Amino acid sequence: MALIGLISEKIIKTPLVSTDKPDVLRELVQILADAGEIDNYDAVLNAIQDREDKQSTGLEQGIAVPHGKTEAVSTLKLAIGIAPQGIDFNSMDGQPSKLFFLLVASPGQAGPHVAALAEIAKLARSKAFCNALINAASPHEVVELMTGE
Amino acid sequence: MSSPIEKIMVYIDGTEQSVTAAQYAICLASFSGAELVAQYVINTRAVEDLLRASIFLKEEQVEYEHDMEADAERYLNYVNELALKKGITITKRQSRGSVNKEIADAVAELQIDLLVIGELSRIRSRRDEFYDETERAMRSVSCSVLIVKDEDKVWEMYQSLV
Repeated sequence: MALIGLISEKIIKTPLVSTDKPDVLRELVQILADAGEIDNYDAVLNAIQDREDKQSTGLEQGIAVPHGKTEAVSTLKLAIGIAPQGIDFNSMDGQPSKLFFLLVASPGQAGPHVAALAEIAKLARSKAFCNALINAASPHEVVELMTGE
Repeated sequence: MSSPIEKIMVYIDGTEQSVTAAQYAICLASFSGAELVAQYVINTRAVEDLLRASIFLKEEQVEYEHDMEADAERYLNYVNELALKKGITITKRQSRGSVNKEIADAVAELQIDLLVIGELSRIRSRRDEFYDETERAMRSVSCSVLIVKDEDKVWEMYQSLV
């Protein structure tokens, strides 16, 4: 399954209202809960938090990729959150994170999980595209940017 | 004239779509008498990219590669069981590397006549970042490619196979 197949307006939130790392993780997982993508909010949040506890997934240039594995989901789940104001996420370059891709997968779906993360890694290399996403006015615009429509 | 399809390869990647593709390939092998190969690629190239991008920690690289090996074993065993139930023998293969290259190399090495893959995403992107490895393989292999759609219909066809 390509990452693009997971993208829909209901799993995108812009702007995020959180102002710190613990809150933004909760808000991203809540996007999935509100979209009806997950039933067990706590299990998903714990999986994401466990990974963050090892090392922040805040990359350079305002991108963060919180991810984790849990039996609480049966298929790959993606949430996208945008915080144009930036949130301190203990990122690699010390800069605030603005574009969040949260990915959670079942432990038995390592292949699709890795493939989707690899697509996000490619996307993160395109500064201009990431800036366009950060400045998108609505989830609809994010979908349009991603599909190239 | 011999059958134009003597060797079929189905690509298994741990998705439901690839399992549906396997059911269809089993039906095709049954109808045509073709030899059937199931290929799983442990995408170590992507894992290395994720380590380089600092999305993965070193311990995650090891953990995810181990998970993918377990997935490969489990999914290949599952499609093997599906085949055996219909009296079809499957050759199970797994390799490590880049999905696109490994599939293309396997097709060439085994002289595959038809590659069967699961349904690709219906949402298309014109952006290069969102390319699908299976779609890339579809374009680069030397043999014909069949994309399997409609899982309910395929399941009925598989079930009706004696």
